[in-house]
Amino acid sequence: MTILRPLFTSATYKSLLFLLAAPLIGGAALGVLIAGWAAASSFLIVTPLVVAVLVGFRGAVGLLAWCDAGLGRALLGVDVRPRIGSGGNGYWGRGKAVVADRSFWKQQAYLALRATVGFGMAMVELALVAAALGSITYPIWYRWGKGNKLRFGSWHVDHFPRSLVLVPAGIVGLVVAAWLARLLGRAWAGIIRGLLADGTRESVGASRHARRLALGIHAGVAAGIGALLLVIWALTGHGYVWPEWVLLPLALQLASHAWIELVEDRPRLRPGGSRAMSVHLGLSVALFAFLALVWAVTTRGYFWPVWPALGLAIALVVHAAIAWVSRGNRLARRVDVLEATRAGAVDVQDSELRRIERDLHDGAQARLVALGMNIGLAEQQLDKDPKKAHEHLAEARKAASAALQELRDLARGIHPPILADRGLDAAIRALAAHAAVPVSVDAELAERPPVAVETAAYFVAAEGLANALKHAQASRINIAVHERAGAVVVRVLDDGRGGVSEADGGLHGLRQRVEALDGTLRIASPGGGPTVLEAVLPCER
Amino acid sequence: MRAVIAEDLALLLDGLTRLLRDNEIEVVAAVGDGDALVHAVLRERPDIAIVDIRMPPTFRDEGLRAALTLRERVPETAVLIISQYVEGTYARELLADGRGGVGYLLKDRVMDVDAFVEAVRRVADGGTALDPEVVAHFVGHREDRLAALTPRENEVLGLMAEGRSNASIAEALVLTVGAVEKHVASILQKLRLPPSDETHRRVLAVLAYLDSA
Repeated sequence: MTILRPLFTSATYKSLLFLLAAPLIGGAALGVLIAGWAAASSFLIVTPLVVAVLVGFRGAVGLLAWCDAGLGRALLGVDVRPRIGSGGNGYWGRGKAVVADRSFWKQQAYLALRATVGFGMAMVELALVAAALGSITYPIWYRWGKGNKLRFGSWHVDHFPRSLVLVPAGIVGLVVAAWLARLLGRAWAGIIRGLLADGTRESVGASRHARRLALGIHAGVAAGIGALLLVIWALTGHGYVWPEWVLLPLALQLASHAWIELVEDRPRLRPGGSRAMSVHLGLSVALFAFLALVWAVTTRGYFWPVWPALGLAIALVVHAAIAWVSRGNRLARRVDVLEATRAGAVDVQDSELRRIERDLHDGAQARLVALGMNIGLAEQQLDKDPKKAHEHLAEARKAASAALQELRDLARGIHPPILADRGLDAAIRALAAHAAVPVSVDAELAERPPVAVETAAYFVAAEGLANALKHAQASRINIAVHERAGAVVVRVLDDGRGGVSEADGGLHGLRQRVEALDGTLRIASPGGGPTVLEAVLPCER
Repeated sequence: MRAVIAEDLALLLDGLTRLLRDNEIEVVAAVGDGDALVHAVLRERPDIAIVDIRMPPTFRDEGLRAALTLRERVPETAVLIISQYVEGTYARELLADGRGGVGYLLKDRVMDVDAFVEAVRRVADGGTALDPEVVAHFVGHREDRLAALTPRENEVLGLMAEGRSNASIAEALVLTVGAVEKHVASILQKLRLPPSDETHRRVLAVLAYLDSA
């Protein structure tokens, strides 16, 4: 079954979608590169206007790279935010900054690659998928359709059983296409990291807001291109409605994007399970609608889209069947996980309570005993020796102070006041303000998460920060908090020497704390750094 | 001197009222939440409002919010926040308007009655009183702006942040008052604070100190 797995994970379809966007992005990129270079080189000789051209060219390249990186973020999970501008001061300074900007040249290389190699990959995938779907549906096509019969060299498909041979071939083709899509997707992720990443890694993960923005930009660009073509068509004497051939693919891409965005925002859909199913279903419907529209604007004769539709339907049925079978396994695995994490939760709570009890016993309680004793002594000596009584009272006051200090520290360790008062953002910023090295905080939460999630998120940040300060010898630390698909994601990143192991008691306790909320904790800390600590805490609203 | 107290724990409210009355400070109103505090201050126009941070109905930072409202609407009333915990963020918000007449102390400080009453009077007179705990939070995390200060000047600024007078700083650091005055003048000059009255500049210096964290 493992070999079939890519067919049923949304990552495959996301990769595929990313690859298929190559003609769109690549086409635009080619236009920008050619126009930009032509304009820049023709202005270079004559006028100072070359600076304005360069800055505009740089902006266009940056914007395209940014859009494609956004696609990569949403579909391939690569977190890279390319720069759009190059900065620089003054008129000539800005021009120089563009030329000296390494990211500008790397972005151009990336876009050129996307337009050429990326385009090739898209075509290969497209051909493979089309051929595979065609093969799977071929028997039906053979039996009831009225097309030409197939022939491969001397091997003819000349009777029905023989046409059935093509079905497994088609399935193999689909599997190959799926694996290839994942492989190429991973390769592109590497290319994006290599060419579009800036020196500084900023905040992490695509926030909901950013993804919405990406969808908005996509819709805007598609609408713009569509409108432009329609205007050109209207101005060039109407006639045959050729813009439809651009509008239809644009609409298909936009619909797919919007659908994935919609599914992504449903936290109740478990990744790999019904979410993959929803994506699959939605994309199938979109593809069918696309083909039906193509039929509608062309011959309108024989309704050929019924055949690809049949292929899509068969794939859906197979997907559903496999999902249904694996559901049982998943439930069993889930029970195992819940048992383990519940034991962990009980464990961590138990040791926490014991720690509090011990702190109270050795600290505040002992101080209060001393306080009472000193007051008793003072009472006794009040008449006989007022000076001595005075000393005892001063002792008592000191004991009270110390007890208060210890209780305050204890309370802060259980639930920091500023977290209760002002929420996660303020509490983490307060934490960062007291650190001995610069800590940047990117926090964007639309509303306050449930208390348990908020507290756990705070302690992830606190523990990660303490860890970075204590062991990593970091010089810069970033704490990012944002919402992703109904979960709060906390990430602590430092540029220290790495090599953090979970054997440190603090991290193990933290993992139990996170898993008790059905969350996941990921620690990546290769020797030499950097260290990334990331917790994903689902919150059912 | 006339004071309004806002504190929801009856035990502490009673004790505090008694403590102030014993020290010739008239308590004209004692209330238990933020809204009541604002009303009482608008009605009584006291010299100072002594306010607990955590109060009903939400038991979060009601007191602080009420205090910030008072700073805006009744600038002539000084505000002294008392709390079981100190947060640098809150201190910064209280001082943000750059005016004096504001303080932020741990409740523990009432145990040293003389020092507490002194702090109340100082704040009511337009001075400041920041808990040494707040100040301690910021020690060691300085930005370039304070890098120009000598270690001794940093020490002086820390004590200024607590709200101490030059005489008291001199006593704490075993210096002459003249030497402290020289240090203060040097600090104000290095922080490039605009010339204005002494209290105002001292508050601005404290603010610079807190902001640098």
